[in-house]
Amino acid sequence: MTDSIGTVPIAVLRDLHRRMVRIRLFEEEAGKLMEGGRLPGFLHLYVGQEAVGSGVMATLRDDDVITSTHRGHGHAVAKGANLRYMYAELFGKETGYCKGRGGSMHINDLSIGMLGANGIVGGGIPHAVGAAFAAAYKGQDSVAVSFFGDGASNIGAFHESANLAAVLHLPVIFVCENNGYAEFTPQERHMLLRDVADRAAAYGMPSEIVDGMDVVAVYEMSKKLVERARAGEGPSLLEAKTYRYYDHQGVKGLRIPYRTQDEIDLWKERDAITAIEQRMTKANLAGEMELQKVWDETRAEIVEAIRFAEQSPDPDPADLLVNVYTV
Amino acid sequence: MAVAVLLPKLGLTMETGLIQEWLVEPGTPVKPGDLIMRLGTDKVDADVEAEAAGIFHPAVAAGSDLPAGTLVGWLLEPGEPVPSGDGPAAPPAETGATAAAAPAEEASGDIVVGEPGALTPPPHTGRQFASPLARRLAGERGIDIATLKGTGPGGRVIKADVLDAVAAKPSAPAPSVASPLVRRAAAVAGIDLATVTPSGPAGRILRADVAAAAAKAAAQPPVPSGAPAVAPAAVPAAVPAVAPAPGEVIPLSGMRGVIASRMLASLHEMAQLTLGTEATMDAAVALRAQIKEQWSAAGLPMPTITDLIVRAAALALRDHPRLNASVQGNEIHVQTEINIGVAVALADGLVVPVVRNADQLPVSAIAAQTRRLAQDARTGHVKLPDLEGGTFTVSTLGSYGVDFFTPVITPGQVAILGVGRLRDSVRWEGSSPVRTQVLTLSLTFDHRAVDGAPAADYLRSVVSRLANPLSLLA
Amino acid sequence: MRELTYVKAFNESLMQAMAEDENVVVIGEDVAHYGGVFHAFDGLLKTYGEKRVIDTPISEMGFLGMGVGAAARGLRPVVDLMFFDFIGVCLDQLYNQAAKLKYMFGGDVTVPLTLTTAGGAGLSAGPQHSQSLEAWLAHVPGLKVALPSSPHDVKGLMVAAIRDDNPTVVVLNKRMLGTKGPVPEEIYAIPFGQAETVRSGNDVTVIGVGRMVNEAVVAAAELAESGIDVEVIDVRTVQPLDSNTILDSVRRTNRAVVVHEAVTFAGIGAEISSQIQEEAFDYLDAPVLRIGAPFSPVPFSPVLERAYIPDSHRIVDGVRHLLERQGA
Repeated sequence: MTDSIGTVPIAVLRDLHRRMVRIRLFEEEAGKLMEGGRLPGFLHLYVGQEAVGSGVMATLRDDDVITSTHRGHGHAVAKGANLRYMYAELFGKETGYCKGRGGSMHINDLSIGMLGANGIVGGGIPHAVGAAFAAAYKGQDSVAVSFFGDGASNIGAFHESANLAAVLHLPVIFVCENNGYAEFTPQERHMLLRDVADRAAAYGMPSEIVDGMDVVAVYEMSKKLVERARAGEGPSLLEAKTYRYYDHQGVKGLRIPYRTQDEIDLWKERDAITAIEQRMTKANLAGEMELQKVWDETRAEIVEAIRFAEQSPDPDPADLLVNVYTV
Repeated sequence: MAVAVLLPKLGLTMETGLIQEWLVEPGTPVKPGDLIMRLGTDKVDADVEAEAAGIFHPAVAAGSDLPAGTLVGWLLEPGEPVPSGDGPAAPPAETGATAAAAPAEEASGDIVVGEPGALTPPPHTGRQFASPLARRLAGERGIDIATLKGTGPGGRVIKADVLDAVAAKPSAPAPSVASPLVRRAAAVAGIDLATVTPSGPAGRILRADVAAAAAKAAAQPPVPSGAPAVAPAAVPAAVPAVAPAPGEVIPLSGMRGVIASRMLASLHEMAQLTLGTEATMDAAVALRAQIKEQWSAAGLPMPTITDLIVRAAALALRDHPRLNASVQGNEIHVQTEINIGVAVALADGLVVPVVRNADQLPVSAIAAQTRRLAQDARTGHVKLPDLEGGTFTVSTLGSYGVDFFTPVITPGQVAILGVGRLRDSVRWEGSSPVRTQVLTLSLTFDHRAVDGAPAADYLRSVVSRLANPLSLLA
Repeated sequence: MRELTYVKAFNESLMQAMAEDENVVVIGEDVAHYGGVFHAFDGLLKTYGEKRVIDTPISEMGFLGMGVGAAARGLRPVVDLMFFDFIGVCLDQLYNQAAKLKYMFGGDVTVPLTLTTAGGAGLSAGPQHSQSLEAWLAHVPGLKVALPSSPHDVKGLMVAAIRDDNPTVVVLNKRMLGTKGPVPEEIYAIPFGQAETVRSGNDVTVIGVGRMVNEAVVAAAELAESGIDVEVIDVRTVQPLDSNTILDSVRRTNRAVVVHEAVTFAGIGAEISSQIQEEAFDYLDAPVLRIGAPFSPVPFSPVLERAYIPDSHRIVDGVRHLLERQGA
């Protein structure tokens, strides 16, 4: 019996699997809460893209900083955020990560290097450059990873940040999660390139393309680019081809269908979690019981986290002005 | 003309005040509104403003603890000598005799007293533009802006114009010099300060002067023609309101202004909440019928339903002292007496004469008092002491056909009981309908002082006393 | 006391603040090797080296955002935006990111970032290099905005801005760069939110923003010759605004004039004027007058520009108008 798939040892495979299951269940339950009318505001779900966040995050340390997007729950979960405080924030509670002041799009936890999701497309990309700058300035060997989508690769902040990181030779990995759509507009109608990775050449940095439904591939490629940045060899771009199962916002699309059911089904057949479970089972690295246990444990954790969130107090309107300024 | 500075009475319970500090040096010119002294009382410390312009001359030393109303200084014209009798004057006679009429308003400052004949506004002569500062000064100095020629930008009346007018008319009827407290008392009594003869130092109007004017006015009741001179107290007729002409602009001044500001202040400052419940009045109605012959033979005034409710409300307050209280700052002050105000509607407004110690009075005495007070109020005879010191209010709109309403708490109190129309209703005995008489009581209370459950408990206690009215005769 | 120019006082604030705190870095276009287009950053590279003084590409969004990220990770970046007019190309990083991170992240993240920039007209720099846009920024909760009116204040406000744990914007006035004035040699901070009463008077309060404070002082001297006693207040910072000093003064003088270089419409003068009428209405003997630029872009022609920018003559006229007494 072998104890790895390729170069990835069993312990890492289990870790990757658990990260993905946690994201999947967190998001599915959040979707249900939203459809039940229980959550205020917007909800941009990460279901389908689990392999990207999980694969990259498994190559990072707590002092490595990431910046995320409006679709940021998966990054936070994969980076190790506390599910209780995440749900509490979705409910707008005082115990939430943002004390109910930010909501779904602003979950952050500096203690684990999560420098925040961001409601402005491309808004967080320069922050990753700044975090990398600060680390280099202080002589630390930590790196920064900025997640963004194919849509954000058209925005100025991405291009300015990529050039800046290259010119200043900073340890940044730009991770483009190409899910094929900028909100509702397919990639072929928002850029003429097939691969976002081509854009790296414009800034003199290397790039890689990886199958975003293959968590092992994402992990291996991310590991390579992170080690490169950590070694002081500068920034790089990683493009992961992936797919968003749910709508841009919420769960089901309610208006004009902008993608076909065939397309959705095709991607679901390549589901990253199913794939890794099959590979682990086939290679005798895990039994069904063991995998099922991960789902059950996660489910229990989520039930408890939601209960915590529901029972948490609302913010006090008397504290409306708290944290506007540091005083 | 020298203007006396008197130690102001800052609160319902203030007896004396300590002048902690003079805020201006002797000989300094001050403007109205300038702070002149820091006053310490048993409750609060407050900075006191000059009410007039002049050169300040203290009559007592800082550190003096003196009764309210004491002469403590002068505001003099340039070159004017200090009037004789310089030094602490005896407190005016009425000091401490009665409590303020509107305790909850005490911090809110001056009430501008209405022009004479406030009900009939002066003919519309076009708008006179004046700066906010000029308007304020003119109000304080009793100058009619409309009589001034503006010299400011755009012909606006400015501060200098008002001050010029003050200087130019030394012999004109002096602007009434009176403390905010006296102004308020005058407003409550519907007395125009300009008609009051001052007897205080330096022409200052004292509360005694207002009371005297009120008594004089009462001797010549200003009854609108066509209105009954005396409205029956027991069953008030619809109050003949002076119907405004179409397009008429009615100033919120005089009694109207006082009601406006007090009601608004009440709703602004309190957390008001109203509970309603139905009281079965069969027994009370029967009791009235039962005692009618007997009492009239004995020469006793017949109690109205309202009198019975006043008595029931007063007795129930003994068990619910929280509703007989006053919220002052961060404190609930439980009152020592149970004094029930009974709201009486007037032509353009209302007054609330007070039945003192209503819990200790027999129903016959309550009946006698409410009858006298309502009559005085409607004929303009009401005396200031009769309007002061209320700790709880009963307001009746039943005679106007109202079944239910949400009364507004009198400032300085924590609750008011509204009484609706006595009306027929149906009670079921088994499957048979039985005619019964009921009325709806509505209790508005200040949630800062009392919670819903104890308030409901109080209401229940009133209802149960009315259902067993013999207890009210005891 | 020793005298320095406005720009030299700015330069000294950076020299001393960087010596005081090694987390202070300077980021911007041409700030290192060239010393800044106005020589504001002269000598910093030589003293502190390329590690702490960083030339950037022309990417305002990118390097301001980099400053935000670095600030969130513990540095105290001073980010330079060459002209205030360029704020539009990087505004998202200022008002959506720097200003809001602390609040929307629940309080754990601070952004001790200072944005320096040069505003104001008077050099025929044209419509895109002359604007005064402080009211835009003062409107954003989370930001602090200073407009120093003297060499002394530029140093003190810069030091306060760098030491502040909140994102701050210090708007230099281009036309004042060569103005000399006394500046203490030691490092000192002028707290944000404390206006300065530059001149005491009893007849009218003139509230000035930035360079207009100096025009107000000139106007006050001229008016004093006619016996008009003008009080001049320098707001120093428009966010936070020291309302108390303004209101206390107006309650005494009963008249107020607000002067700024920005367009009058919806300028900071509208806010100040509104606060005065809300809080001191009964002390006003005349309407509050705003003096600012007309509602047009800043013109290039020196003739037009002179007509455009408020000056001491307009202030004198405005004050006289407020104080005039017809037929008295």
